[in-house]
Amino acid sequence: MTALAVTRATLTRVLRDRTALFFMVLLPVAIIVVIGVTVSGFDQFRIGLVPAARSGPVAQELVSELRSAPGLRTRTYESAEDARTALRRAELDAVVLVPAGLDADVRAGRTVGVRVLVEPTGSAGHGAVSSVSAVVAGHGARLQAAAFAGDQAGGTFDENLALARGAERASSPLVVQAQTVNGESDYLPLGYSYSTPTMLVLFVFINALAGGAAIVATRRTGVYARALAAPVPARTLVLGETLAYFLLAVLQSLLIVGIGAVAFDVAWGDPLAAGVLIAVWALVGTGAGVLAGALFRTPEQVHAIGPALGIGMGMLGGCMWPLALVPDWLRTAGHAVPQAWAVDAWTTLLSRDGDLPAILGDLTVLAGFAVALVTLASLALRHRLVTSPGS
Amino acid sequence: MGVVLAIAAKDLRQRLRDRSAWVIVFLAPVLISALMALAFNNNSEFRANIGVVDLDRGPAAAGLTRVLTSPELEGTVHVRSYDDESAARRAVDAGGVHAAIVVPRGFTQALHGGTAAPVKVLDSVDFGLQAQLARAVTESYVAQVNADRLSVATAVAAGAPQRDVPELAAKAALLRLPEEVRAEGLPDDALKVISYFGPSMGMFFVLFTVGFGARGYFIEQQQGTLDRIAAAPVGRGALLLGKSVSTFVYSLAGLATVTLVSWLAFGASWADPLGVAALSVAMAVCVVCLTALVIALVRTEQQAQGLASILVFALVLLGGNFVFASGSTPLIRRLALFTPNGWALRGFTDLGTGVRGWAAVGAPLLGIAAFSAAVALVTALLLRLRRTA
Repeated sequence: MTALAVTRATLTRVLRDRTALFFMVLLPVAIIVVIGVTVSGFDQFRIGLVPAARSGPVAQELVSELRSAPGLRTRTYESAEDARTALRRAELDAVVLVPAGLDADVRAGRTVGVRVLVEPTGSAGHGAVSSVSAVVAGHGARLQAAAFAGDQAGGTFDENLALARGAERASSPLVVQAQTVNGESDYLPLGYSYSTPTMLVLFVFINALAGGAAIVATRRTGVYARALAAPVPARTLVLGETLAYFLLAVLQSLLIVGIGAVAFDVAWGDPLAAGVLIAVWALVGTGAGVLAGALFRTPEQVHAIGPALGIGMGMLGGCMWPLALVPDWLRTAGHAVPQAWAVDAWTTLLSRDGDLPAILGDLTVLAGFAVALVTLASLALRHRLVTSPGS
Repeated sequence: MGVVLAIAAKDLRQRLRDRSAWVIVFLAPVLISALMALAFNNNSEFRANIGVVDLDRGPAAAGLTRVLTSPELEGTVHVRSYDDESAARRAVDAGGVHAAIVVPRGFTQALHGGTAAPVKVLDSVDFGLQAQLARAVTESYVAQVNADRLSVATAVAAGAPQRDVPELAAKAALLRLPEEVRAEGLPDDALKVISYFGPSMGMFFVLFTVGFGARGYFIEQQQGTLDRIAAAPVGRGALLLGKSVSTFVYSLAGLATVTLVSWLAFGASWADPLGVAALSVAMAVCVVCLTALVIALVRTEQQAQGLASILVFALVLLGGNFVFASGSTPLIRRLALFTPNGWALRGFTDLGTGVRGWAAVGAPLLGIAAFSAAVALVTALLLRLRRTA
């Protein structure tokens, strides 16, 4: 009962703290939005389009087809210089410069070169060139047909181009058919379904660590010393604080899950499995936070080291980028931190329709982390309270 | 001046005795930058491992394979051959190749008329870009075949006699598409991950010190240290200047450490060391201004910590420290230019891609200066209001 009073006091204090609420809700949601927007459209090449100043209908048609090509994400630029700058800054994979005399050259039977600028090293440029080539080839097929028809049967280029469009609709060309063989992803879905679960993992842990600063401050202000003199047993204080920070971690998780589902349309997968995962992860965070509260000497130390530690572990564990992208040795090393197992479990739930048995392995490891951290934290805090309650 | 430097030196000594200060300004950004450099060391290259199943065994199918192994795609595409479709499916499924192209029996025959089964591109959900590349190469190749067939059909539609179709097909087979793509490489340096995220993490953690500086001020106020200094023959201006100098030196040291380590240990490259120095100095000045703003806005140590944290996270979130700004949307890139760190990262991006001098850092320096001036102006107004209140 006394432990619950301690829990209630801590919860009340934290929930009245507007800064704490900012870190619990507003900041994670803001980062979810930014990262969610950033990690979408990774299956398309980013193309800068620079139309000629005075484009004829043929050039306009090419631009329109490039814009509507499903494998390309295009952005139009006024000048080649602006597009080059964007390409240099890696904002684009390639830049297409639509030639000024395209219409005239095609009508005159001359071959037209469509210049595509790429960053020659370290980018997806050549892949982007191939994708642009496919669109240009499809467009060029009609031009070839119109010119050929003019040579063989007469008529104006524009008339024959219209005939070519009609013939294309009526023809049965050779088809390229895409088939997805492996639908089971090693990645979280792109967009908000990527950023929301990863930021849940990141921020529940970082916030729990930040809670350690409050424990240190409470220690240093002598609140625990007075409580022990009340007399409240040290184990009761430890239990009360642990329960409070566990409930806060669960509350933060549920808020992120709710906002993710309602605002960002995130499907969290099997509810039972997701619920167990949230609870176990909250326990991991709680253990880390209480341990920080027991070990650090000043709140400043927690504020300084906590975020750095949380972000570093988040990076190692795949919260900032998928571990499938990094070298094998780093992926293995990443699994030394609990974040990696949590992200793996969310990937199973969101990308492979996993259920509780499917993430049992990850949950077991996370439970191991949780038990170790909570036990260690409880012992350390109890020891600190018994031996030097006012420090 | 001696008084100002004495106050600055005292503040710096105090900060450097605090081990957490070392962690946040020197150790954490270096370690996190190192982690990023290791994670993306060999990852800037786009690679596509594409399997090919040639069930046609004709010259047309061989031509498609030749396109995939052409010099243009040499550094991008790696081709593996499979005997049958099921072997290719297994390879895609297991991740042995990113995608596979299955050329059907009768593909070459279809060049001379008639129909053929579709050319299949087998893909995996995790390798969208590689699948897009495999599809694009195949579609480009097939496009020429379809163009020849379309030419014949259009000629017939335009009035050529139906009986001439074989002759028209023979003529069309000699045609080449009138539009062709000509790829040109830019002469700039490619931007390395570490050239961006090294300074990015340095700025993130240096901005964190805004909270520490502001809190330190209020702690000294509580302890009466500020009043004792003010009672000495030292003006409040000298006191503030001294504290500003210490914040500036501390921030600059942090940024300099991260950029130096990124350059020496992890291969970050910027075209112009002076530009890097100028951006670092500008950001250090900005940290001083932000610290002063927080001090002017709040009245307690707790409020200082809270406001500084919110301010810093808002800046790094908008500025592009958490995500690679160039990979984000135009809107987010535009929003980044309302922050000093966003401008600084723009400068580091340009320096990292080979741009030198004023062209790289001119606009960013002006952007940071404008932000700092606005912050300083607001701070001055707040302090004046507080004195008159």
